[in-house]
Amino acid sequence: MLKLEYVSVTRGKTATLHDVSLTLAPAKTLAVVGESGAGKSTLLAAVLGLVRLSRGSVTWMDDAVHRCHPALVMQEPRAAFNPALSLRRSVGEPLKARKLTLDKARLERLCRGLELPPDLLDRRPSEVSIGQAQRVGILRALIAAPALVLFDEPLSALDAVTQKHTARLISELQVEEKFAALIVTHDLGYAAAHSDEIAVLRSGRIEEIATAEAFIERPQTDYGRTLRDAAFSLGALEGAA
Amino acid sequence: MTQALFGLLLRAAVVLAGTALATFALLWNAPGDPALAITIARYHSVVSPEIIDKIRVEAGLNAGFWTAFQSWIGPILQGDFGNSSVSGRPVLPELAAAAFYTVPLALAGLAIGLVLSIPLAIFAAKRPGSWIDRGAVAIASLGAAIPAYWLGLLLILLFAVNLAWLPAMGARTPAHAILPALTLGLGVAASLTRIIRSGILEARGQPFLPAFRRRGVSDKAIGRDHIAPHAAIPVVTVFGLELAFLLEGAVMVEVIFARPGLGSFLVSAIEARDFPKVQAVVLLAALLFVIVNLLIDLFYRMIDPRIGERDA
Amino acid sequence: MRSVIVLIICLVLLAVFGPMLAPYDPTAIDIPNRLQPPGGQWLLGTDALGRDILSRLLYGARWSLGLAFLVSVIGLVGGTLVGLTAALGGKTTDWLMMRTTDTFLAFPELVAAVVIAGVLGAGTGSLIFALTVTGWMRYARVARGIGLSLETRGYVVQAKLAGVSLPSIARWHYLPSLVPSLMVVWTGMFARAILGISALGFLGFGVQPPLPEWGTMLLDARIHMRSSPLQMIWPGLTVVACVLAINLAGDALRDALARESEA
Repeated sequence: MLKLEYVSVTRGKTATLHDVSLTLAPAKTLAVVGESGAGKSTLLAAVLGLVRLSRGSVTWMDDAVHRCHPALVMQEPRAAFNPALSLRRSVGEPLKARKLTLDKARLERLCRGLELPPDLLDRRPSEVSIGQAQRVGILRALIAAPALVLFDEPLSALDAVTQKHTARLISELQVEEKFAALIVTHDLGYAAAHSDEIAVLRSGRIEEIATAEAFIERPQTDYGRTLRDAAFSLGALEGAA
Repeated sequence: MTQALFGLLLRAAVVLAGTALATFALLWNAPGDPALAITIARYHSVVSPEIIDKIRVEAGLNAGFWTAFQSWIGPILQGDFGNSSVSGRPVLPELAAAAFYTVPLALAGLAIGLVLSIPLAIFAAKRPGSWIDRGAVAIASLGAAIPAYWLGLLLILLFAVNLAWLPAMGARTPAHAILPALTLGLGVAASLTRIIRSGILEARGQPFLPAFRRRGVSDKAIGRDHIAPHAAIPVVTVFGLELAFLLEGAVMVEVIFARPGLGSFLVSAIEARDFPKVQAVVLLAALLFVIVNLLIDLFYRMIDPRIGERDA
Repeated sequence: MRSVIVLIICLVLLAVFGPMLAPYDPTAIDIPNRLQPPGGQWLLGTDALGRDILSRLLYGARWSLGLAFLVSVIGLVGGTLVGLTAALGGKTTDWLMMRTTDTFLAFPELVAAVVIAGVLGAGTGSLIFALTVTGWMRYARVARGIGLSLETRGYVVQAKLAGVSLPSIARWHYLPSLVPSLMVVWTGMFARAILGISALGFLGFGVQPPLPEWGTMLLDARIHMRSSPLQMIWPGLTVVACVLAINLAGDALRDALARESEA
């Protein structure tokens, strides 16, 4: 169980997160939605321990989050890979760092699940498409079988068709791998279709938390309603798919 | 700004302390008995082993590096640099006398460098890529590759030996300073030409200049109000570098031309293993460089307040 | 990059095989044939002890170029380590490392090298120590600067998150980005080391006679400037040619990198 309690982060004089409390159960998906500047990236940094909390705590199973070796899927797929190394090397990094051996069968299964051709991993980041790079990013995140995976706008660098495809692959893998997924995104359609719960973040505060169905049906706050209406007037059918 | 000033002063103090420590570590590791060196420096004669042992205890040399360092730095902090271990006279007046020769030489070298490099750089930058520009860059590259001591020897060979126009050795008349100053000045000119030239080119490439020109601001006004401030930062940086270059050059030039001055003072002190003199030159020169760098940093912050925000 | 590599290979070949081309023993004294003019039996003439100048220049390459290469490579490794430690080691480490670097930069490098080599006593060991101790700071500055700019790159964040050790991050994620800029610094420092070695040799604090080193050859030649001026020209010309070639190669490398980063 990932638990954030009264997490506050201040940068300079302004608070970027203010008393954020969230929970995420194992194998479940929580989407944090908000506009840019709402504090989504800071929230991820707080969970990963990359920023100092001015107040509050973040725990996984009542222990420090880093103990569960959380993984991160980044927004910019290519930048997440060292341009000088082969993708295979980068993918193996989380294992090597913890002195774990690579389970070949697992790698093959994940590659199949992510629809990655076997020889693709021997290329460099610049030699694959953005969509492929993002799927390799997911592969790296999952290779060491983490209990918690964070997704930072995992689809926003991809084109529309690739977005749907990638979102589906993530969901399918989650059923198999049973990791807890914390997704931050501005894409409410994606959040609604692929998460159990949705938390709305605005100016560093949680406006409301609800199950995905309940939120789409009836947002509890004006801001939530604005968000929902904006998203579904643009692509109502997509969100329901 | 006060916080920035405090930070800069702290840095300067740390650098000075580091230099003092490095200097003492060097002397500590010099071959020979440090107690003997101190004894000679103080009594200027060979004395009995008992007195040397007494000094050893007094200077804390038995008590290990840190104690010895403390008893070494104490008088220096009070401005007492001790006596020469060769002549027995206080070090500071001799040092001042040497500086009296080096400072005018360095200024003359700097002046020659500026007089040669500024017009050359401006001509070169007027038409980048033209033959004048290429020639200026080629001369500057060549100048940067010629060691000062060889250039000095060539000048002696040409003007003193072959043409017999100028005196080469010593410092008796002002004419004796011409060749040494020229040696320094040509070296300064080589590095300044490159830096001023690229400074002008860079400033001219600033995106706001075409807009000014379209609005009818005269070329002269643009040069004065916009190009000059942009070129000022590299020029000030270069002054710091040139100061170092001039001290380096002074060492070589004074040896070649057998001139008195800080450089020959240092070299002869090293040769005579006259450590009080060596440490006085090193520590005072370090003080000078730290102060100059401090002033340069302050100047940067005045021109462009953004500088130093990221830099820790 | 290619021009630099070709040049480095040429200089290495000169240092390694140059002595094999030498027509005479560089230290063989031949008083009856002292101060011979160039041409004939001695292509560049002989010095005050009748030693063949061309042979001494060729053997000198081993000292002047070889030691400069050694010194600049030790500086490269040491300075890069300091810079990477500063960039990766957290605020206190960074502060300490950079103040140490400032301290060593506060003083003109050549003067510091003269003092160190002189105080420790003449000899090749002190020479190497003096030039190395005064020749690592630029690498450290560059390595730290680029290192700090890499801190927020995705793959560095990923590596830290995965728990990759700092030395490993330095080796695999930082070093590849540093190499081009370090090469540019290195060419400059290689040239400076050649100048430094010959300057120290000329002052008598460097490589000791009778070993043929270009700076000490100049020191010998200086005394006979009037009777045999050309003797002074050759070693100086050799130093200038090497330094100029290395500097030009460094400029070309820097321009190539600038073009690459623009593209």
